[in-house]
Amino acid sequence: MAQIHLSTDSPNTQQSPHRALVKQRAAMSGDAVFSLPATDFSTKVPVEHLDYDFIEKCKDVKYLEKILRILRSGEEGIYPHLIKFCEGHLEKLNPKSRALRKETPVATEASFSKDEWNQIMDDLRTWAEETKKSETLLKQEPVFDLLIEKIPPVRSSNSFVPLNEKSFPKQRTNSSKHVLPRDYQEWDKFDVKEECNKVDGVLKNDPPAIINTGHPNIKRAVDASLLSQQEKFLLANREKDKGNEAFRANDYEEAVAYYSRSLSILPTVSAYNNRAQAEINLQHWHNAMRDCQQVLELESRNKKALLRRATVHNHMGNFQMASEDLRMVLQEEPNNATAIQLLSKIERKLSDCLPKQQSKGKKILIEELEEQAEQRACPVQPSQPVGGEESSAAPAERGDMGNAQKKPHSRGDGGPHSESSNSHHGHWRGKGGASDKYKVTEESKVANGSSKRGSTASVQGDKRSGTKGATGGGKAEESVNLDAPCGALPPHLSRLKNEGNLLFKNGQFADALEKYSQAIQGYTDSGIDSPEDLCILYSNRAACYLKDGNSQDCIQDCTRALELQPFSLKPLLRRAMAYESLERYKKAYVDYKTVLQIDISVQAAHDSVN
Amino acid sequence: MSSPLSKPQIIAHIQKSLNYTVFDSKWIPCSAKFVCLGNFARGTGVIQIYEVQHGEAQLIKEVEKPKPIKCGTFGAASLQQRHIATGDFDGNLHIWNLEAPDVPVYTTKAHKEIVNSIDGVGGLGIGDGAPEIVTGSRDGTVKVWDPRQKDLPVANMEPVGGETRRDCWTVAFGHAFNDQDRCVCAGYDNGDIKLFDLRNMSLRWETNIKNGVCCVEFDRKDININKLVATSLEGKFHVFDMRTQHPTKGFASISEKAHKSTIWQVRHLPQNRDIFMTAGGAGNLHLWKYEYPAQRSKKDSDGVDVGVAGSVNLLQNVNLSTQPIASLDWSPDKQGLCLCSGFDQSVRVLIVTKLNVA
Repeated sequence: MAQIHLSTDSPNTQQSPHRALVKQRAAMSGDAVFSLPATDFSTKVPVEHLDYDFIEKCKDVKYLEKILRILRSGEEGIYPHLIKFCEGHLEKLNPKSRALRKETPVATEASFSKDEWNQIMDDLRTWAEETKKSETLLKQEPVFDLLIEKIPPVRSSNSFVPLNEKSFPKQRTNSSKHVLPRDYQEWDKFDVKEECNKVDGVLKNDPPAIINTGHPNIKRAVDASLLSQQEKFLLANREKDKGNEAFRANDYEEAVAYYSRSLSILPTVSAYNNRAQAEINLQHWHNAMRDCQQVLELESRNKKALLRRATVHNHMGNFQMASEDLRMVLQEEPNNATAIQLLSKIERKLSDCLPKQQSKGKKILIEELEEQAEQRACPVQPSQPVGGEESSAAPAERGDMGNAQKKPHSRGDGGPHSESSNSHHGHWRGKGGASDKYKVTEESKVANGSSKRGSTASVQGDKRSGTKGATGGGKAEESVNLDAPCGALPPHLSRLKNEGNLLFKNGQFADALEKYSQAIQGYTDSGIDSPEDLCILYSNRAACYLKDGNSQDCIQDCTRALELQPFSLKPLLRRAMAYESLERYKKAYVDYKTVLQIDISVQAAHDSVN
Repeated sequence: MSSPLSKPQIIAHIQKSLNYTVFDSKWIPCSAKFVCLGNFARGTGVIQIYEVQHGEAQLIKEVEKPKPIKCGTFGAASLQQRHIATGDFDGNLHIWNLEAPDVPVYTTKAHKEIVNSIDGVGGLGIGDGAPEIVTGSRDGTVKVWDPRQKDLPVANMEPVGGETRRDCWTVAFGHAFNDQDRCVCAGYDNGDIKLFDLRNMSLRWETNIKNGVCCVEFDRKDININKLVATSLEGKFHVFDMRTQHPTKGFASISEKAHKSTIWQVRHLPQNRDIFMTAGGAGNLHLWKYEYPAQRSKKDSDGVDVGVAGSVNLLQNVNLSTQPIASLDWSPDKQGLCLCSGFDQSVRVLIVTKLNVA
């Protein structure tokens, strides 16, 4: 049989008949070709290689391309299937291969689904209409003569730059021989240092050595006072795009410069956000924090800003703040992978430093009680700010709890291993080591932020606004005055609250309860009008009662909390659970339903309702 | 492997057949109109303005001029006035107000021979500083003009007397990131590319790419120079990374072969400086994306910084006609809208989709 006869070429004889047939054909035509050496440009590719197995095993991209070329040319015959196979294999090895480039006809309506096509057409139509409108508006605007004055003058000096094919030096000497008459306006550009250098013979402009060192001066602000709103918008967008492009090319400094330009024309949320990210990449934590705060002022639930702020906190060591931010994000988007990852990292860090404090827990409690007693007597104390951001006192003031206050802890320091013996608080204090300037600017923003968020129902919001509200109250004393009498209490109370939180997390509910009670007392004593904080404290204490099994007190506290801030989720939820445990199902049902009305996504409520 | 549908698609939205040879076509900024420049068979120039309406290009105005017009730009026009600067076969530079195109706003005899290429900067909010126009001509000179100065160019780059003059085929502005810095890049028919710095009035860099340079363009005019693409005969184009200049080696570059014939034009997407389109002599368009390397500069053996070029990926290629596509212009207002005209006497409006994802 002819097959057997010819298949002695290749060692693989176990193939499908189809393959054998193809090979046979290839081999046969190979025979034919060998007899015509003139047209055989495929000298380097023997015909046996035009074969499935060979192609599959071949790893040499160039060789494969050669094979493909031969196959496509049809010299050895037309094997469409083999061609496709070869292409597929080549693509696996080198998707960017030039041989894989195909000329396609222009896409038309037929190549799209109906929806896509309609979308594209509608898009174009709306654009055309909008542009026509804006064009007519543009034409109607009067031409600003002032604008014309702002343009720099005509480039001075009619200088000839002789074009030599090669020589640089020749041209250099040419130009230096002539002292061309200069325009008066050149005096504006007169650079004394440069002239001195020139006089001293320091010619730094060797043409071959014009190396672009570092970043040339990009002006950080653009004077857009004479432009219309439309033009401002366009220009700001363009600068932002430039910033984005620089960012993508990893030129973060440049990106920041362009974003700053964009913001100087028209402040926008996205420009701030982007600049924050660029600063993060440059590790300018304070600048990044500032930008995140700006965004959150404009848009308090902006997820990107929250995430970025969490990152900054993380790097600055404010793990508590970071985790709060992340929890906010996760509330809205429970599946956010980055948030989840970051949160788990932070939790781990938090739990690392907790055990250290656990052991000292009891001792310090006693200490603190004493100190607190002291403090109540002389309410001068500045105190341990929570997470640094909120301290109303300058670092110098953190005088104290009887501990020698050292320099504010370095930022971004892992904190928990702080040297202060008051390590219980050190955890939070350490993160406070921010510069004054930063804090002062933060405060005003923080106050704004809190006033906006004061009314949210979410407890996290409450918690944070609570603490900020505390500093909001204390913000009144912005001066670095050690003797300020009334400012100390809110931070002091928030510290109590945080201690309570910590204890609660550790499962020491009784102690936590105590803390909360103290805090509540403190509030009522000082007469500070801060319903959110009080509400939170009550709510937290209610949680403690619930855990202890004291449902009655829990219900009481929840009710009080709800009096202060109706429709807050956590107290409602806790009260519902308390009622349930007391078997007063009707009331429990009512409360759960209320919770669901407020926030339909609370799973626990759903379950319990059923 | 990306599925074919996630690649940008190039759609031919409108196709218009003209009765004259069209050399250049440009979008009018802030509008849905475009202008076509060319010459009638009887040897006179023509300017036509079309508007994109209801999926069609409708002729709004047609003006005839004594000399055929080769090229035009809106680059030096203010956003409100949008005057077009054109260069014609006789070496004249005119600036027209399209609302009243009978008399030019500015006119000068720029060159002794045909103005091959023109570019503008400083208008439309692109580039700080004075609006300027640069023209390159077959007489080998490259001149920079300011519309406020009559008759005389602001700068003139010409070969020293006695040297052979090579045709200048293309010019481009760049590095206009503040009001003093400007750079002009010129490409010649013998493969020379020269970069002039207008602030120092000196030649900053030159190189030769062995084949006549058909088109040069910077990726963005109004930033610190970043990338330059130069296309040439014989289907090759080069991308130079302009951030790091080595004293002897110049700028790092990569070159890519495509189109199998002359690459007539390269244009960067105004909304993304890393995407550009090249137009070829066989009537085809290739859409490319540049990717930066991990490190854009490194130290060479002498410890001097030398640049590192990245890589280009082909995103899409299509075949529009059999004749060369001589001009290409992206719309500055709508991402993906593109205008091209070719020697098959037709002008096409294209839509390129999915550029955000690319």
